[in-house]
Amino acid sequence: MLRLREMFLIIRAMRLSVCLRFLPSLCLASLTAYAQGRGGAPQPPATPQAAAPIDITGYWVSLVTEDWRYRMATPPKGDFLGVPLNQAGRDAANAWDPAKEEAAGEQCKAYGIGGIMRMPTRLHITWQDNSALKVETDAGTQTRILGFTPSQRPGGDWQGVSVASWDRQATVMGSGRGGPPPGGSLKVVTSKMKPGFLRKNGVPYSADAVVTEYFDRFDQPNGESLLMVITEVNDPTYLTTPFWTSTNFKKQNDAAGWNPTPCSAK
Amino acid sequence: MFDNKSMVLSTLLMAGVSVLGQAPRSSTPAEESAPGFDLSGFWSPAMHEDALERGGGSEIGDYAGFALNEAGRLWALSYDPSRVTLKHHQCDAYVAPYQMRATGNFRIWEERDPHDQRLVAIHVWAQVTEGHRVIWMDGRPHPPAWAPHTFRGFSTGKFVGNALVVNTTHMKQGWLRRNGTPESDQATLLEYFVRHGDHLTNATIITDPVFLTEPEVRSNDYFRQVVDHHAWLYACDDGEQILDRPPDKVPHYLFGQQPFATEFAKLYKLPLISGVGGAESIYPEFMAKLKTATDAEGLSRFKPVPGLPSETSRAVDPEPHDGQIHVFPIRNNVYMLVGDGANIVVQVGDQGALVVDTGTGALADKTIAAISKLSGKPVQFIANTGFRADHTGGNVKVRRSGMDPSLQGSFFSNQFADAGQGATIMSHQNTQNHMDALKMPAEGIPSDTYLEEHRRKFHNGDSIELFWEPNAVTDGDSIVHFRRADVIVTGDIFTTTQYPFIDLKNGGSVQGEIKALNDILNRTVYEHEEDGGTLVVPGHGYLSNEHEVLEYRDMVVIVRDRVQAMINSGATLDQVKGARLTADYDTRYGSSSGSWTTDMFVEAVYKSLQQSSAARLGK
Repeated sequence: MLRLREMFLIIRAMRLSVCLRFLPSLCLASLTAYAQGRGGAPQPPATPQAAAPIDITGYWVSLVTEDWRYRMATPPKGDFLGVPLNQAGRDAANAWDPAKEEAAGEQCKAYGIGGIMRMPTRLHITWQDNSALKVETDAGTQTRILGFTPSQRPGGDWQGVSVASWDRQATVMGSGRGGPPPGGSLKVVTSKMKPGFLRKNGVPYSADAVVTEYFDRFDQPNGESLLMVITEVNDPTYLTTPFWTSTNFKKQNDAAGWNPTPCSAK
Repeated sequence: MFDNKSMVLSTLLMAGVSVLGQAPRSSTPAEESAPGFDLSGFWSPAMHEDALERGGGSEIGDYAGFALNEAGRLWALSYDPSRVTLKHHQCDAYVAPYQMRATGNFRIWEERDPHDQRLVAIHVWAQVTEGHRVIWMDGRPHPPAWAPHTFRGFSTGKFVGNALVVNTTHMKQGWLRRNGTPESDQATLLEYFVRHGDHLTNATIITDPVFLTEPEVRSNDYFRQVVDHHAWLYACDDGEQILDRPPDKVPHYLFGQQPFATEFAKLYKLPLISGVGGAESIYPEFMAKLKTATDAEGLSRFKPVPGLPSETSRAVDPEPHDGQIHVFPIRNNVYMLVGDGANIVVQVGDQGALVVDTGTGALADKTIAAISKLSGKPVQFIANTGFRADHTGGNVKVRRSGMDPSLQGSFFSNQFADAGQGATIMSHQNTQNHMDALKMPAEGIPSDTYLEEHRRKFHNGDSIELFWEPNAVTDGDSIVHFRRADVIVTGDIFTTTQYPFIDLKNGGSVQGEIKALNDILNRTVYEHEEDGGTLVVPGHGYLSNEHEVLEYRDMVVIVRDRVQAMINSGATLDQVKGARLTADYDTRYGSSSGSWTTDMFVEAVYKSLQQSSAARLGK
């Protein structure tokens, strides 16, 4: 019989590639079983709701502590400091005309997927069903559907098509202590949206943009909870590099302060 | 088909995974946390948010989005950026949360125990100011309240869920924003680091009871670089920029006279309240307020609200109040003893202990016991920085602990009849005079006094100097400097707990206090970007360095200037008191009860200035 330490040393010396070379199907089956937890009968796949590593439902309020001037007020035309616009982006921003937007019924351009989370707003997040989250905002009365299953929606609206997944920290492979780590983030990738504004003063994003978001929840020792939404906007039309922001919300106990207001271009 | 070798490997693999998966958990806090992730590498900040603040710098008056209380707002409005021309401010570093927000690149690496590979610490090096943060991951506790503060503070971390959670305490006073928005030395920081691929995000939650009404939440994004940025150094040496500037000049603006207070609002066509809205300005409802706010509402926040009672200190009390004496090593053979009123300093060595101040005396036996553990020899000398009872109350007992029956007396036994009977107590002559006048126990009154500017002594391998400050707190204050250890003991000239006790009846004055603080600053040298170097033991409060003395000096000068300005305009004492001239410092140092209140301090400054004015006029 091999002693425990000898087994340990042998396993440490092995790499996964060794395993796969010799016993691909057995290794895969074993690792899958391991990832699903040891022992017991096979479980049916959990729904996205049941598998949620964090709970982001409820009412949340924006904490406008960054980019205050760009978010609380409408900045002047041409003020796009911090946004990595290319020349086409600068030209578009410099051509911003809010009156024209309103006349064209395009007053929600700053409330689209590229700008809505930066608005001073409250969020109401609920499960629409067990495979889609719904995010409603009182600013601009927008609704986002974050679906965990492939969407048949064509998109083309302000919020586009969002595909959600739970983003967990990678499980240790090899000789480390295994098991899925606790916690995780909600990852949302959005595309197929109508072009809109990153900031209210006409800083543009195009219909070709892809917006990747991570929703992280932090429960503080004082009992308060924060929701941090990390946003990366990739737009080959108007940006030279990805545009990154992280936006913070504080958990509310109820709907206090919920104040639906229509979009405004000014 | 499987061959035998494959079967053995397969079996071992499964068994190994199972065994390792069931490995018992370690009991150390670090091991009880989530598995963790690697933050190591080179990181560049994405400056897409608050690009102006983090780049060129925000306008004066732009405090929007900060939950500043009145004190924080007024502190910021009083700030003159020329203050950084002062020698000692030139190399001010950034406090931890501002450091994480600064421009410049970062390098992060792990420190692991070479024997068991446990994660000991995560190091973060910031290019700007050579900011080096150490996040301890080994479960060690935070230091006590009397331990020194640094710009980066003391940080401990733990992996929770998918985040690295970091708690930071013991930070120095610094910036929330580089335009004068203050963060106090009482602030604490809670951080969450999350990593999504090559994107690292750091959420910072600053709690500051002195300047904020609610925690300040912000977040910073970084992207990973695959190559070394280089240029990690940020050398800073200070030097006087304005050679004929008087040493008691600190650039600042009187309340209501900040010339740039409205610049932010006017530049961006915003209501005046925009930059000074406090906590309200953080929430969506403020958008509606911006539409209706009047100029008067904004202007009313540019100076203290009249008629309000003075705020009191919200600082953590650094005294343990547990009936015990706590020994804190300072440097070399010098220790700080905390617990019996004023701080006590003990220097030990072959020649026996030299003690600076003896506390109230209520815990004198425990003080002596603590000294005995540090030094097996009788106490040789006691130096008193002043005469007040919280500094000299233990003189009698501590002196007796210096009794040495083996000593056969002195050649000058007629003059020094007490040779071998106890420690020798030193002080300035005026301190002895005050103690005589108060009829303090004769045995505890200094017998070895000096009249000149300073007294020197070489003891236990260190050069020790006592400097007389002729009219600071009183007319008999001494500052004690251990030159080799580079430790300065200030007595009540400097504390981290209250406004300076200026005892006019016993020869104190505000001008003398400022001079004394400047004399301390003339002796100190920082180690790196205003951290470390010469260590300063305050009369009360936590072990400091020149930065705390500097901020304290600035405060005394600024309050003096405000009082002087009102005197110049003919104000009475009551009018001065009613003007709330210390409103931006009261949440840090203020008191409405006890032996030294804010009112008493303001009155002392007022009368002190009147006296010096009268003296100048020959009245």
